Amino acid sequence: MRKLNIEFTVGLFLIAGIICLGYLSIKLGRMEVLGGEGYDVYALFSNSGGLKKGSSVMIAGVEVGRIKSISLDDYQAKVVMNIAEGIKIQEDAIASIKTRGLIGEKFVEITPGASEKIVPSGGRIRETQPPIDFEELISKYVFGKVE
Amino acid sequence: MGIRSPWLWLVVVLVSAALPSSTYAGVPTEQLKGTTDKIISILTDPELKGPSQAEKRRGLIRKTADERFDWDEMSRRSLGYHWAKLDDEQRKTFVKLFSQLLERTYMEKVEDYSGEKVSYVGETVDGDYATVEMKVLTSKNVDISVINKMKKNGGEWMIYDVSIEGVSLVNNYRTQFNSILSKSSFSDLLAKLREKISEK
Repeated sequence: MRKLNIEFTVGLFLIAGIICLGYLSIKLGRMEVLGGEGYDVYALFSNSGGLKKGSSVMIAGVEVGRIKSISLDDYQAKVVMNIAEGIKIQEDAIASIKTRGLIGEKFVEITPGASEKIVPSGGRIRETQPPIDFEELISKYVFGKVE
Repeated sequence: MGIRSPWLWLVVVLVSAALPSSTYAGVPTEQLKGTTDKIISILTDPELKGPSQAEKRRGLIRKTADERFDWDEMSRRSLGYHWAKLDDEQRKTFVKLFSQLLERTYMEKVEDYSGEKVSYVGETVDGDYATVEMKVLTSKNVDISVINKMKKNGGEWMIYDVSIEGVSLVNNYRTQFNSILSKSSFSDLLAKLREKISEK
């Protein structure tokens, strides 16, 4: 009886492990309900620093879309975002690339603006803020002191 | 806060006057340069030097800055979607206090101007919007990138946001105001601004 119990528990753990794996692969594979629906907007960043296709787009920490594509456009990063239906983005909203935690993954945070004009499907978010490059900042102040 | 100061911009702009005008400059750059030159001449005017002339000097700088900064637009953008909920009276009060706050925060930095070199690196115009990028070379030999976002208003290009080293002034205040307004009321925000302005 005792032996059976142990085997049963091991089996249970195994199944739990497989479920976790399945969940992880769905999560990491970005097989989400979002995407496909919604509408696209784009923004030009001077540096997209580590942002990836599939990264989140957030307003107030709530995910409202995903990055659809990142490409080079006149030596700037053109980031196309797929935004969920019903989320309105004002013409003067600011899109900034941020990092989750200190060294976490990158995402786009949109801070809503005050304009009555709404960015249409296929439109552009004009105001952007590239990620802060700590390495560059530090090196500036380190090497700046040479003289 | 040093490198974020939007008024450091002023310092930068100021310096540009001292430099020979660079290669390409469109209307937005020209107008920005005009304002910068004016402010530099105020700062370097021997008759306006010293603490006894501070009031007159600051008044002149403020007046010159008023000609190039669109405080209404800057305040509106900084407040974000909360702006829509305010009536005209509240908006007026906010614009006044916000511009005073910026003045209080950055005037001293502008007055610290000590011959920093400014160069205009690039300009892009897209309809009624333009960005003018400048580089300021500080006395410590550090290059600071300053991007002025401007909007055409009649014949004048007015600044509505300043990004220093990629950090936007409007976004910085928008985030702060937003977090204050989500916890407390608009009159609390005004009280906070007044408190900041009167701080010594």
